[in-house]
This record gives sequence, structure tokens and C-alpha cells, in this order.
Amino acid sequence: MKKTMFGIALAACGVFAMTSVGTAFAETSFPRNLRIVIGSKSTGGDTYQNTAIVAEALAEKLGINVKVDAVGGSTGFNTIKRVSNGSVIMMFHDQAYLGYLYGKKGYDNPFTEYRIGPSVAINPGNAYLVAKKSPYQNVEELMAACAAGTDVRVAIQPGGVSEIGYSALKNAIRIQHPGKEGCLVAVNRGSQSDKNQAMFDGLADLINGSVQANEQYTRLPADDQKAMRFVWLTARDATIKQANPEGMGETSREMLLAYTDPAVSVTQDGSKNFTFDKEFFFLFNKDMDQKLVDELDQALTEIFAAGDIQKTQKKSFFIPNFRPSAEAEAYFKDKAAQYEVILGNLK
Amino acid sequence: MGNLLPGSGEPLRPAWELAMPELFTVTIDFEQSHLFFPHIIHWMLLLMVVLILVFEAPAYLRRLRAGHVSLPFTRGPFDAVRFMGTLLLTVVYFLTMPWVGDFFPNTGLGFLIVSIPYMAALSLLYLHDRSLRQVFLVVLNAVIAPVVAWLVLAKLFAITLP
Amino acid sequence: MEFLSNLDALYFVLILAGTLIGIIFGAIPGMTATMAVAVCLPLTYALDLNHGLALLLGLYVGGISGGLVPAILLNIPGTPSSITTTFDGYPMTQKGEGERALKVAIVSSLFGGLLSAAVLFSFAPLLADFAIKFSYVEKFLIILLALTVIASLSKNLLMGLLSALIGIWLALIGTYSVEVGGNGDMRLMMPFMEEFLYDGFSLLPVLIGLFGVAHILEEAEKGIHETHTDMKDALKNSLPFSFSVFRNQKTNLVRSGFLGTFIGMLPGVGGSAASVLAYTQEKNFSRHPEKMGKGAPEGVVASEAANNGLTGGALIPLLSLGIPGDSTTAVLIGAFTLQGVQVGPLFIGENVDTWNTMMVGLLAANIAMFVVMFFAIKHIAKVVMVPKHILYPIIMMMCVVGAYAINYGVMFDVWTLLLFGIGGYLASKIGIEVAPLVIGFILGGQAEVYFVKSLESFGTLTIFFTKSPIAVVLWLLIAISVGFSIYQASKAGRAKRDTDA
Repeated sequence: MKKTMFGIALAACGVFAMTSVGTAFAETSFPRNLRIVIGSKSTGGDTYQNTAIVAEALAEKLGINVKVDAVGGSTGFNTIKRVSNGSVIMMFHDQAYLGYLYGKKGYDNPFTEYRIGPSVAINPGNAYLVAKKSPYQNVEELMAACAAGTDVRVAIQPGGVSEIGYSALKNAIRIQHPGKEGCLVAVNRGSQSDKNQAMFDGLADLINGSVQANEQYTRLPADDQKAMRFVWLTARDATIKQANPEGMGETSREMLLAYTDPAVSVTQDGSKNFTFDKEFFFLFNKDMDQKLVDELDQALTEIFAAGDIQKTQKKSFFIPNFRPSAEAEAYFKDKAAQYEVILGNLK
Repeated sequence: MGNLLPGSGEPLRPAWELAMPELFTVTIDFEQSHLFFPHIIHWMLLLMVVLILVFEAPAYLRRLRAGHVSLPFTRGPFDAVRFMGTLLLTVVYFLTMPWVGDFFPNTGLGFLIVSIPYMAALSLLYLHDRSLRQVFLVVLNAVIAPVVAWLVLAKLFAITLP
Repeated sequence: MEFLSNLDALYFVLILAGTLIGIIFGAIPGMTATMAVAVCLPLTYALDLNHGLALLLGLYVGGISGGLVPAILLNIPGTPSSITTTFDGYPMTQKGEGERALKVAIVSSLFGGLLSAAVLFSFAPLLADFAIKFSYVEKFLIILLALTVIASLSKNLLMGLLSALIGIWLALIGTYSVEVGGNGDMRLMMPFMEEFLYDGFSLLPVLIGLFGVAHILEEAEKGIHETHTDMKDALKNSLPFSFSVFRNQKTNLVRSGFLGTFIGMLPGVGGSAASVLAYTQEKNFSRHPEKMGKGAPEGVVASEAANNGLTGGALIPLLSLGIPGDSTTAVLIGAFTLQGVQVGPLFIGENVDTWNTMMVGLLAANIAMFVVMFFAIKHIAKVVMVPKHILYPIIMMMCVVGAYAINYGVMFDVWTLLLFGIGGYLASKIGIEVAPLVIGFILGGQAEVYFVKSLESFGTLTIFFTKSPIAVVLWLLIAISVGFSIYQASKAGRAKRDTDA
């Protein structure tokens, strides 16, 4: 028994080794086993979920095995810095350049250190909430309180996607009520649980959260200590409008639109409103072969043209958002430049 | 504690604190907060070393002089070949694994190919009775174990290996 | 009773399969329940929610339980939460009571698992409301309470405290992560280390390095001589397992099971703190505290009842707050979202059928775990008979696999194994104690966050006393725990002087 098993194993391994060597060096193409590292260490989060959807579609289209590894930002960046042959690529979201703009350790300028690949989806759920019993009804009242000199405490995770909405609010107060932006105070917390807890403890007036994680809290009765209310979704209204009409839980798309621009106005520069979509995109090694970039662009173009992936994405509350590499790079450069101005104003 | 009015997160303060508030007040600058706890631990480490020098060291030295104990690393058996051999083989194992693995990206073959000779070498190093039968068993184990691990983990469960 | 239609044959087959795979993952040093759930998550795409959950719950329960096998037989914690199982489990094996230790551990695991499932089923929403009363302040005090075990665990108090501090210090290396609300800056390292130690040393490679690799190095130093002929004799003469061992352990079982459930339900604390805390309390209340750490079954009972109690506990915040109680339940969230099911405070009310189905699943998984392990044990226990020149290379290889895979493919984690293997070998030579060091390492990171964030939020040290009645109760427990260990140490000291004289 042992011997036969061993024989089979050895034979299988020999055959496998030969085929994989064959394809790896035959032509410039993704290897039979492609690895996608993601910028999050969680396999339960949105980055993993979004990447898993794309990976499955890619595996089928290219006829290869695609593995998603939740290694986290720092390790992910180090890996694609080291591997240029296309056997490892990375998927991350706006944090990739926001981490750099906020000057966090472990983040380089992604536009010079890596190559920006195609974008695939938006998570439209980035939200700000107050306690259901909060005296503040909306963002306007929160900003007015600041203008009147009352401290408004905002629970965020510092240095990225969770902080950008807070920075935008601060910037809007600076524009509309110069000198009062100091009254908007950050309460630095970690996970969503920590941010919720800050509200339960009475240490935060406003918290960063998401439609997905916090929607059920908004449906609790007001006398429940845990009850919350949405006041702002940072996504563009054009993004939310693409979501399925049933929205999330009992909160329909129509109801969500009441919390987005233009219904909620947080000015970016005095003339237009600030919005932030959390967008997922690929990152490559700077020297990865152009042929591979083209191959991935082509494959994704065909996948999105077929139209099935969009249904899967929308079912999981992602908004499809495909842009080929070149277009994505120009788009994210512009997006980053706009946010750089906001953060520059607050220094 | 669950008061949700803005600016009311203040807990009740006891009398002894009201009497001398500055004694218990700690302000943490968020930008420097990564150093706060390490500083405390450094001071505690220092304190502990001093305490050990004061309370433990004299007794230890007395026992050492009396011959009840011996200095670390000076007594006991030391099988230099097996000990240094283990370290050397393991370092070589760890160095070659990713290197070989890079020839077969994301297949786990680096692990499989390098584990077989490593296990065989380590087993032979540890083996006292190097009869033909024993050597055969050792080599058999060195081949079967990594192959099974690789088949189950890398192939069946798609776990990333070097 | 609608949910009964969810319970088809496939459902139970998946539970059984999940439990089996979970046990194997848990039993391999370095492979954890979390990893078992993570690697099998893609398999659930093809199943519907209830069947997917059946598989994952089996993996969770099996994975947490499987960790006891290498902890008892090889002195290597298979998962971080089985660390305290090694303290008494391995000494039992050395006395030739490996099989007995395994059986004690499995019965305790079953009890802890069932108890926590019952608590989860009866009180989940209520307990979730209780859990959110625990802010950073109370969580810090819980960690402090768990750390008091060091006082009674150390062979030499001062050296033990020094070792624990070194453990905490090692845990602080890396960034003060923004994931826990830190500022993301690095400390305690030189520039060349930044690439590798951004996230600090990973817990699992450190554990298996200190326990597994260091042990192999110590044996190599002595020349790898077989001792299993003595083992064979010991096995013949050892105490057979009988349920009478639990006669005096009822309080211990219940207390440890509840402690595990309770710690499990506090988001962020979770995992290893549960078994450490249960072990501390058993040591405090034990009638023979001097025997603990030298092969006392009650140590195994406390540790295993607590870490299986964790399973039901960690599901409480997941299902009634939408927040994972430990790293494994964090992966479980993925299974829900993939199926388009929202978790949050309204989950149970809106998904009564799924909830009931899950409860049956949890129950079935615990029973499956018990049956599989109880009857496989005779064979598993023979691992100690494998000659060392065969066993050690296999352990080394599996440690490498586990370390590399724990963060989904990081080579530095493999080097961590060797670093801490050599470190552990050297440390034990100069009187540094490994057990307190490991506990310091496991709890150090949380101690920092909870302590610093408490002060950051409230700006005064007095908050630790005045925050809430819960804080006062916790201080009382800490005082009792410290008091007990001082009392026991002085009693043991007196007994020793008496025998010397």
C-alpha cells in the first residue's frame, strides 16, 4: 500500500515538474500557478472577497491556477518588488497611495515604485455614523458644532482609507469656517469593533464604518446602546446608483442615496464636493513585461465584456469598475493628486 | 458610562485625584505613542536586572564557589557533530528552499525537492546504528514524508509553499 | 422547526469531514484552526450557506482540539491556545501517561465545547451587550489578570518576571500597528530589519521555535539517544485512564469552560489568553498547586476546557454583533459575506433557521471531535515510540511548512523558527524560563494597546480603578491571584526548608 502510493506520488510529481518547467520558460506568459498577494492580512475582509471573485474569473479565462494570499501591505509590496517575472502580482485599493500620502511606514509612492494595473471594482460602503440618540442630525450640524467651537470627536483608523473622510471634513471646515478645523478631533482606533466601541464608550461623536458592517446597527431601536445612524457615505452618487436596488439589508439604494453627495455636501475646494470611492486595482513589479500587462488587460476586458462577473460583484455589494492598466494609472494619479492637495492644506 | 452626549466621556474622579491631579495625569502624544510602552518595559527590565543582581547573584556565586552548580555551557555532554550539524543543515535547508522554489514559481516544488535530502541527511546524522536496513528506512522516510506533505498541503489544499 | 430540513446526510458528512481535517491541521505544529478554515473557505463557494457552515464549524472545533495532540505528546503547542496544555500534558507523557493525558484532554475539550455551545445558544444577545461594557480599561485588567500566572509559574520568581518582560519586549518589536489603532511607527529595531519585521515576529513560528526546534537542539547536543525503551516500560506500568480522574475536577471543568467562553466573547482578547487565564485560576484554587506543571491532570483539564470553551464564546460577538471574537471567526465572516448573508446585531432574529442549524452543527462537531479522537488515541499515542532519528526530521519539516504557511507564504517566518529555536536553547542554559517568556510574548501586544489606549482616551492613571464596577471586580481578582501565589510560594518554601532540615 505504502509503496504503490509512493510510486504514484513520485510519478505525479515528476510529470508535474516537467510540465511546469515547460510552461514557465516557453514564452512570456503567466505561469501555470499565478499568485495574487493582497494588501490585507484578513481572509474575511472586502479585499480578499473582491480578489477571490476576480481570481476565479481569471483562472477560468487563462486556464491557470490562481491563488490569493492574504499577506498584508508591507509583505505584499516587498514581494512584488522582488518578483518581476509575473508569477506574483498584487491587488490592493486606494490605501496603496493614501498610506504614502499620510506618510505611513511601509508605503512607497506606488506610481514610481510599482506599476499600476487594471482596476476591477469599487466597495461603495465607506460610511460615517453617529449614535442614534446623537443630537447631531447630519453632517451640516456636525460642522456647525465645530464652527461654534464644540469639539467633535471622530473614531477612525489612522493613515488611510478610514481617515480620508475625516481629513475631507476637516478641510471643509477649514474652507467654510477658517481656523475652526482644530475642533474636529481624531480618536485613533483599529478595527471596526474598536471604532464601534469608542462610540459605545461615549468617547466618539462620529465613527467611520461601512454600510456592510454597520447597517444592522442602524435598524436597532433608539434605546439600544448600540443603535447608530448613517450621516454620510463618501461614495459618488453615480457609484451608489449602480448598486442593486435592494441595497444592503433593509436599507435600499434610495435610502443610501440620501447620505451621499449631493444630498450631503462636504466641500473639497469651495466649488465642488468631496467624494471618495474605495477602488480595487492591481499593482505589478515596475519591470514586469509589457506583454503580461497586455495579457491581463485583455483577459479582464473579455471577462467584463461577458458580463457574468458583474452579477457576482453586485451580489456581494461591489460595484464593477473595470479600467485597463494605462487608463487606471492616469485615473489614480489624478485621484491621488486631488487628495494630496487636501492633506497639504491641513498641514 | 454609556453617556453619548458630546464631550461627556469624563468619568467621575475620586477625591484623592482631585486633591493632586497632576500626579496621575498622563498625556500621550499620539505621534510618539509607539514609544510609550517600550519605555516602560525598558525601565522594568532594568529594575529586574538590578533586583536579580542584588538578591540572586550573591547566592549563586556562593553555590558556584562551593561547586554545587557550574557556569552555563561548561558542563554536561556536548555532541558537537550532531549539534553543529543540525544547525548547519538547517541553515542550508532554509537558504536553498526559496532559491530552488524560484525556478518553479508557486508550485511548492522548492520545498519538496530540498526537503528530501535535508531529511535524509538529518536522519543519518542522528542515526547511531547505520546498518543497511536502517539507512534504507531513513531514506524511505525522507522521500515519503515530504511527498505526502506536498501532495496533501500544496496540491489538495493549495497552501502556498516555497 | 423549519431548520430540520437543512439537516440532511450531507450536512453531517461535512461536519465529520471538517472535524477530521481540522484535527489534522490542529495536530500539525504550526497549522492552526484559522488556517484550516481559511484554506477550506474556497471549497464553500460550491455549497450553500448551511452546508458551508457545517464544514467550517467542523474545521473550527477540530482545529482547536487537534492542538492538544502535539502539545501533550511532543511538548509543541499545535495551536497557540494549547500552550498551557504542554505545561502538564508533556510531563504526563514523560511519565508514560501520554494516552491518559490525551483522554483527559479530549473529555475536557468536549465538555468545554458543549458548555460554550449551550451558553451561546441561550444567552448570545444578552452576553453581547455585556461584552461591549468591556472597554480598553477592562480588557487591560483581564490581560493583567492572565499575566499573574507568571508569578506562580516561575521556578525562580525574579528570573520568571525577567523572562516575561523579555517576552513582552520581543512582542513589541515591529510597528505599533494601525490595525489596532497605533500610529504605524516602528520601534526597537535597526533599519535593516524593517523589511522583515514590519509586522513583528509572528506568534506561531516563535512558539514552535521555542518549543519544537529548541528541544531538538537540546537533544542534538546530548547526541540523540533513544529513550523509548524506557517509555515502553513506563507505558505498561502507568495509570490507565478512567473517568474517576474527573471526580475532583467538576469545578475546574465548569470554571475553565466558562472562562474560555467569556474570554472568547471579548473581541480582540480571544485565543491564547483564555487557556492561560483558566490555568492561572486552577493553579490558584488547586489543592495541590505544587504538582501543577509536573504532570497534574487538572492543568490539562483547565487548559483544554477553556480553549474549546472559546469556540462558542468567539461565535457570540460574531453572530450578535457582526464582530469576530478571534482570528478564526474573522475568517468565518468571509463565509457569510460570500453567501450574501449579513452578520450584525440582527443576524439571529433575521436568520433563525441558519442560527438553529449552526447550533446543531456546533453540537455535532463537538461530538464528532470526541468520537474521532477518543478512538484514534491508542494509535496516536504511539507517536512517542517513533525513533527520534525519524521523528525529529519530520517535526522540522512540518514546522517549516507551518511557519511558511501561517502568513500565506513569508520566508522570514521560517527563519524566525531557527532564531527562536537557538534563542530558546541558549535562554534555558542561562536560567531564562521559557513558559513565562512565551506568555509575555503572547499577551504583550494586547497589554500595550489596551494600556496605552486607555491612557490616551482618559489621560489619567486613576481610570484603571474608577472606570466601572467591572474594573473593581477585576482588581479584586488580580489581588486574590497574586495573594494566592505568594501564599503558595511561601508554603512551598517552608515545606522545602522542612525537608532540607
